[in-house]
Order: sequence, then structure tokens, then C-alpha cells
Amino acid sequence: MTTIGVDAPGAEKAWDDGGRYVPPPESVKPPKKGFVPPWRNPWRRPYVLATVTWVYILWSLVPVLIAVQFSFNDSRSRSSWNGFTTAWYCCGTEEGSIAEGTSVFGSGANDALLNALQNSLTLGVVTTLIAVPIGTALALGLTRWRSRTSNVANAVSLFPLVTPELVLGSALYLVISTLYTQIGLGRNALILGHVTFSISFILVIVRGRLVSIGNEFETAAQDLGATRMQAIRTVLLPMLIPAIFAASMITFAASLDDFVVSNFLYGDASQITVPVLLYSAVKAAPSPALNALATLLLMGTMAALLLAYLVLRLRRKGEGGSALDDLAGVEM
Amino acid sequence: MPFDPKSSDHAPQWRPQLHRRDVLRGGALTAVGLGAAPLLAACGGDSDSPSGSSGAYPLARPDEPVTLPIFDDNQPIESGLEPEKADALRVLNYADYMAPGVMKDFQKKYGAEVQVTPYNNYDEMLTKISAPGAQFDVVFPGPSVMSRMVYGKLLQPFQKSYMTNLTNAWPEYQDPWYDQGSQYSVPYTVYTSGIAYRSDRVSDPTEGYKMLWNPEYSGKMGVLDDAGEALGMAMLAWDITRDINTGDPELINAAKDKLNELIPLGVKVDITQYETIANGKFSVHQSWSGDMIAARWYLAGGATKQDLGYWIPESKADVVIGNDNICIPKSSPSPVLAHTFINSILDNTIAEKNFNWNGYQPPLTKLSAEYLIDGGYITDNLLSAVVVPEDFASGIKFYEQTPAVENLYLAAFQEFQSGGS
Amino acid sequence: MAVAEAVAEGRKDAATRFLWPSLAVPGTAWLIALFVVPFYGIMAVAFSSQLDILGQPIPAWNPLKWDFTVMGQVIDQSISGSYRSGWEHTFIYTALAMTLCVLIGYPVAYYVARLARGNRGLLLALILAPWWINYLTRMLAWVGILGDEGYANDIVRFFGFAKVDWLGGQWYVVVIALVYGYLPFFIVPLYAYLDRIDQSLIEASRDLGANTFRTFFRVTLPLSRIGLITAMVITALPMFGDYYTNTLVSNSPTTVMVGNSIEESIQSGFSRGQGASLVLLLSAVLLIFMAYYLILTVRASREAR
Repeated sequence: MTTIGVDAPGAEKAWDDGGRYVPPPESVKPPKKGFVPPWRNPWRRPYVLATVTWVYILWSLVPVLIAVQFSFNDSRSRSSWNGFTTAWYCCGTEEGSIAEGTSVFGSGANDALLNALQNSLTLGVVTTLIAVPIGTALALGLTRWRSRTSNVANAVSLFPLVTPELVLGSALYLVISTLYTQIGLGRNALILGHVTFSISFILVIVRGRLVSIGNEFETAAQDLGATRMQAIRTVLLPMLIPAIFAASMITFAASLDDFVVSNFLYGDASQITVPVLLYSAVKAAPSPALNALATLLLMGTMAALLLAYLVLRLRRKGEGGSALDDLAGVEM
Repeated sequence: MPFDPKSSDHAPQWRPQLHRRDVLRGGALTAVGLGAAPLLAACGGDSDSPSGSSGAYPLARPDEPVTLPIFDDNQPIESGLEPEKADALRVLNYADYMAPGVMKDFQKKYGAEVQVTPYNNYDEMLTKISAPGAQFDVVFPGPSVMSRMVYGKLLQPFQKSYMTNLTNAWPEYQDPWYDQGSQYSVPYTVYTSGIAYRSDRVSDPTEGYKMLWNPEYSGKMGVLDDAGEALGMAMLAWDITRDINTGDPELINAAKDKLNELIPLGVKVDITQYETIANGKFSVHQSWSGDMIAARWYLAGGATKQDLGYWIPESKADVVIGNDNICIPKSSPSPVLAHTFINSILDNTIAEKNFNWNGYQPPLTKLSAEYLIDGGYITDNLLSAVVVPEDFASGIKFYEQTPAVENLYLAAFQEFQSGGS
Repeated sequence: MAVAEAVAEGRKDAATRFLWPSLAVPGTAWLIALFVVPFYGIMAVAFSSQLDILGQPIPAWNPLKWDFTVMGQVIDQSISGSYRSGWEHTFIYTALAMTLCVLIGYPVAYYVARLARGNRGLLLALILAPWWINYLTRMLAWVGILGDEGYANDIVRFFGFAKVDWLGGQWYVVVIALVYGYLPFFIVPLYAYLDRIDQSLIEASRDLGANTFRTFFRVTLPLSRIGLITAMVITALPMFGDYYTNTLVSNSPTTVMVGNSIEESIQSGFSRGQGASLVLLLSAVLLIFMAYYLILTVRASREAR
């Protein structure tokens, strides 16, 4: 436990176990010797930064809450509030109902919305199921296989990570409409596109974990008589599970979130995903049913996140550190 | 040679070059097109000629009608088949161009959900329909793309025994000039192109097209997201030419310069004027006549039906007039169902229900202008949006172009959309 | 070591020698077929000289048949013609948005990573939330608020000003929308980096008499340089390729960005050649950023090894 710099008499410790700053309670602040300007006082509470942070958080989340609010608007407007209704979610089908024929669920609802929701979820699951094994295998292969070829493969595999989606989307669109014409635009093209942009960040996440594990554990297992395959299966893979799990979560979320690649690769309305639908509808004639759809997607994402958080916390028990940090640390 | 945007010869070099003479001759290509075997995309191959495979389709004109060919490998379906039991009827169409009620009724009767994939203009439509793997059952092209689509084998010929309701159509649309014998198309709607405005906000609607250039409405106006419509409108507004099908790059350029003048005024480029004029987002917008008749469904912010206005030139000879068709793409997985669907749209009752919602007049004899006005569909302030068969004889129409000319328009329009030069 | 054992060891090695390469094969093949080849496809379309019956370029897969006329025109038009304003907007909007991202994002990431205590978990969850919320949903939210009758105009009118036409092609609305859209992608990686800085270094600086500002500029900021650059690159790359934010909050030729021109020309078909050429130019511009970021990543992973 570091104790350097505790120049405030009475302060027991300035750092918590994670090495983070813990300002002392008010009562033990250093006695004021005349006027101390704020920038001279390292113990001053960071009011300005705290304010900036909270203002940012409000700014980033309040609009979303307002969008959720308008999914309950008893009017076709998405901007002026006119009372509460759930008609946009379900059963806004009676003649004269504000959401006639356009609610998300219920008989006579706008099938396009539910269809898009199903498409997005299916695409997310299929993408994850295909991309995670491929990406994980690639990470294992590229980390442990040292040769000139692997260096080239390494460089190539990172490029999709930094390529703007517009470039990737238009490239896939052009190649599918001219060379891979057997694939055709549509569901298959969407899956191929989503897997392509997913592989790279699965690679980065899993490889990060692989590098930090090192190969001592495998070597030890092999010294104890395990074959290499056994060592991988029984030692390495279990240690990789948190990273694979995090990668799956991100793949699924990225697939749900993707707009650009999907917008290039869908063929007709039956394959449209939620972001594409939101985009074209905002351009055309948006109704609160869209907000309802977006709200459902939001709740789905939040539920998945909560699940991830709980799983990580369960695994984290006894290891210290916070599951939230894990979630924040999985960026590229 | 460096590219000079101000140069009058503005056609980028790589495009198929046609001499202006050829272009201006227009219809003369018809003979060439009909004589030659159609050259198709895939057969373009490695020919080194820069014009590649373009230009080999006839250009129909009212005085030079075209009978579209029926290819050996693209024959009509058999007659007397039962409609397929499909989950979906895939429609490629403008957004909000067909009544949801009509589509629901069809679904109830035949079990197929009508799914609309929207496009904003014919270029997007052509891109979508020609994409590999694309499967659509019904599409709505106008006369200006018919030849291309038939020669590109994107459409399939009708088995006319299913089209029993075609006799409901105006006589001229049972054998139109762009598709003699209605082998590939039946008419869907007729409309004029004009200016939609809010009479409660516009001081002088007789300004006509020039309302768009009036700074009074800056930030509150827009043009159609359609190269031909927007550039043609600029040509007519500023007397650049009355020939909105001109292939003269100078005239197209002059029209583009006029459109560019709209950019500092905050012009928008879209086709949702039926909603945005009605809800007050815009005060003035280039528009098709049907949109203003439909606008009554989108009124918001205290606007009333009486606030909607639609301007077209006073003289019938100056009015831009057109029609859309219904066709069956070659890729259709359910062609019998598609025939059935199209025939139902030509049914008087269904067409009336559709018109009530989308505001576009179907050219059916029973649904005459008087009938629709008496039926209360069209208020007095929008009588200018009514189309009668006689208008077609005198009005200005968009015709099919060679790819070279087409590209001149598209390039000019894209420059405008890219913020001008 | 017994001979038999050594032989067995050798056989095992032979059996597993191809294990690692074969694990890498599916992923590598996938990326070649669906990343490298498509990128070549962009070139084949951009350098094509053939049009099909619908006026779309027929890709020139054979590099000997490449024709650079369209590319030349696109470059000319980018320098002095119709694409110029698109490029200008792209650079200016991205630079402005990036500056705002740093000014807002750094303090937030710094506070949450280093200063917040009791409610740190809550803060972290709250800054992670927008990272996970669908981008289009967040934009949809703004389009509602900025509408003619939306809350933004309610506030403006409450203070006695005239209604503002927010969505009528205002450049500042585009910039703010970009900041709003991408700030979470800036903050989260920067947070992760700041979180790792060793507190004792900062403490040492204070012990040696540096005040808060001096400590920040001489110690914290240099230590977080890599994290800051990473966050900036991660945010700038998609911003350069953005077109949908612009379309949603402006959709006016007055604020067109190069992404809009690309999307329009590729999806409308006729000018795919121009679109593909613009994609190549954009990639060339971004290659500098991309290469820099990749070098950083590779170096970081080397150090970790």
C-alpha cells in the first residue's frame, strides 16, 4: 500500500486498493494557512470536472429518454407531447386509433417493424455464431504461429478494424453485385458483411487475453503429460472464456448497431434491419411507432448488457476488480 | 486534359460519347435499336470500344411508338394457372405510393403479405432491380425507362389472359406508344409535375416555378429527388428550353447552374412533399399532382385542407405530364400472383380505394375527373391537380434517353446534390 | 531423455506443427475473400471504361485494362469542382467535432477514471450506456428534439427568441450531431487508458512541488498521449466516412460531406465509377491515420509480449 505523499495530517490513506485517489473526509483537510488558491490544493474536490461529467451524461442520455417518452405519445408527432398511449407498441389497430395499422405488435400491426426486429436479432445471433469461432481460431493461430506469412496475415487482419464502414460497405456491395453474383444481395450478403467486420475485433479481444496469459500454462500442462490438443482444450480455452464471452457480446451488439454495411447489402424490404428501417423512415415519414421500435431495441441491448455484467461479476468473484471495468476494457 | 467544370463540353470523357447530332436526332436511334440484336450487360465483354454495349434500345416517342420485343428466353407464363401460395409479394415502389388498406385486402384474399421496398427515383429502382439475387414481383416504372428494362431483360412479358381489367383503362393506355399492345405494362397513375405550396404562407403563387428561387421561402423549400424532374423544371422556369428531353450539354449545364442557385437558399432534395408541405416543414416544394391530393392525410400544426395549393402553368401546352406503369420483373418468384395483383389494381373499386389514400389518379374510365371531384376527394383549391386525358395530347412529357444523355442529366444532378461547383 | 520419448515427441510435433497455421486459415481466407478482393473490386470499378445497358460500369478485373480517366476527373473535381465543398465540409466538420470531443471527452474520461470515488461504478455505467445504445436510435432522438415543434424550439422560445430551423441544413447542427454520435466511442477507450496510469507517478509530481495544472500538463497528459491519440483515431475514421448523420439532421446540399457523395453515386448506380474513385481517394487520405493506429497497436502488443 503506497503511502507517499500523505502530507495531510490525519489522513489515513489517499489511495484505495485499486490505486485510485481517495480524498480524505472534510474533517481531516489540511488546516488552512491563509488563502490557498484551488490549483495549489491537490485535495480540493474536483467540482468543475464533476460538473462537466454530469452535464455530459445528461446530454448524452436525456435525448434518448425523450425518444422513449415519445414512443408513448398519443399523437402522430414525434416532437410535441400530447398525452400517454401504448398504441404504438401494441394493438393500435382499431379504426380511428392513432396508430392504426402501424403499431409494432398486435394483429394488423405494421409487419415491417416486427419483421425488421426479427431480422436484426437473427442476423446478430448468426453473425456471432459464425464470427466468434473463426475469430477465436484466427487469434490462436496468429498469436502462436510465428512466421513471415503470419506477420502478413496479422497486418491484413487488422485492417478491417480501422476501415470506415462506408469503405467496407461499398466494397462488399460492388463485389457482390459484380463478382460474387451467386451470393446476391440479401440475407447471405448481410451475414457475410457482418462477419467480416466482426472478425477483426474478436481477434483483437481474444489475442489481448492470449498475450496476457502467455504460454506457460500450456507448457506446464504438456510437461505434466497432456498432449498439445489436450492442453489447449483443458487449459487454454477455459482461460479464454471471459474474452470469448466479451467478444460475443460485442459482436452481437455491433451487428445490431450496424447501419452502413446493412444499408448497402440488403436486397429488399423483407431483409431490412432495424437501423436501416429507422434511417429510411426518418428520411421519409417517421411516426412514434419508430420510437417504440427503437425503445424495444434499447431494452434488448440493456438486457443483454445486464446479463453480461452479471456473468462477468460472477466470474470475477474473488479475483477483485470490477465487472464494469471488464466491459469498459474490451474496446479495441 | 484537366477537367474544367465551366467548360461547356462538360460530359466526362469516359462516358459513351455520342455526337450531339445523334443525340438531337433522338428517335432516329429507334431503327438502329430494333434492327440490332440487343446487347446486354453480360455480353459487353472485352470490347475495346468505349461505348461498349450501350445505346441498343429503341427510344419510344408518341409519334414513333414502339413495340417491345418478346425474347425467346423471356416468354410470358402460361394462362389459367392458380396464383402461387407465397408468403410475400415483393413490391419495388416509391414509398407511400400504394394504400396500406389495398395491400392488406390483397393479403387477406391471397395470403401473401405485400412487402414494399422503397426507392426515391428510377436510378435507385434500376440499381435495386438489377442487383444479383434481387427478387421482386411487381415494379412501377414510367415510360422513360421501359425500353431499357425490357432490353436489359429486367421485365417479363404479361400473359394478358390474366389482365381482364385492362379494359377499365383509358383507351390510349390499352395500347400506349411506349409499349404497343401493352405487352409489358399496364398503367398505374397519371400526374402532372408542378409546385406544391402552402397558400397561407406564400404571397404570390403565380410566380410558379420561380417561387423556389424566391429568398422569402429560403430554408422552407425543396425540389424533387429526380434528375429529370429537377433539371427539366429549371429549364422551364428560366426559359432555357422547352425541350426537357434535350441532349444538349450546354442547356443541361445551364439548368444545373440554376439549380445551384438554390443551394445558398437551403434547398432540400427529397420526395416527401405530401407530408412536409402538409405539416409545415416546407412552404414550397416541387411536387407531383397526386402528392397534394394525398397531403390532406398528413395535415399537422393547425393547417387545413384549404391551405394546400398546387401550381401548374396556365397553358395546358406548358404542363409537364406523365404516367407510371405496373410491370412484372423477370426475377419474380410468384408471377401468377403478380399478374393477379396487377389485375386487381385495375379494378375500379380497388383503384378508387387506392386513389383515396395515395392521391394519384388511376387512368380508369370510370374514375373520371368529374367522378372524383363529385366524390369529394378533391377540394376546390386543388382542382389544378386534376388530370384529364386531353392534357396528354398537349402536355410536355419525359421520354426515354440514350445512356449518354441520361448520364448527362444524372451527372449534372449529382453535382447539384454534391453542393454545386 | 530416452530415445523412444524423443521420437514420440518428434512425432507429436509433426502432428501439431500445422495446428496453428490451420487455425488461422479460415479467418485469413475469409478476410482475403471478403476484404482484400472487395477492395480490389473498388479499383476494378473505379478504373473501368465499359458501361452496361443500364449505364453502370463493368469492372475491369484485369489491371492491364485499367483506365484512369474517371479517377482523373474525380481528382480534378475534388480540387476545384463539384466535390470540393464535400471534401471541405468533411475536413472542417471532422476537425471541429474532434476538437469538441477532446474538450468534452477528456475531462469526463479523466474524472471518471481518476477522481470519482463513491459513485464511480454508476458513472462508469452511465458513460458506457450511450456506447451501447444504437447509433440510429440516438440520432432519431435528436431529430425529434430538433423538429419544428420539438423541445429545442420550446426552450428557444421560452427565452424569447424566434424559432430556429435546426434541421434546415445548419452546419453547426451537423457538427454537434457528430460530436453527440461519436463522443462515447472517444470516451470509453480513453477512459480505459487513463484508468491504467500509475497514480504514484502523478503523486510524485505533486510531491516534487508541481501544482495541479503543472502535474496535468507535464505528467498526466504525456502519459495518456497514446490513449488520447488512439481515441482520436478511432473516432475520426468513422467520422470521415459518415454520411447518415448528415442526412438525418440536414439532408441539404449546403452541408454535403464526401460520404454523402460516395453513398449517392454508388447506390444510384449510374456513377459507380465516380463513387468508387471517391472511395479510393478517401482511403488514401485515411491510410495515414490507419497506418499510424495500426503501428501503435502492434507496438503495444509487442510490448505486452
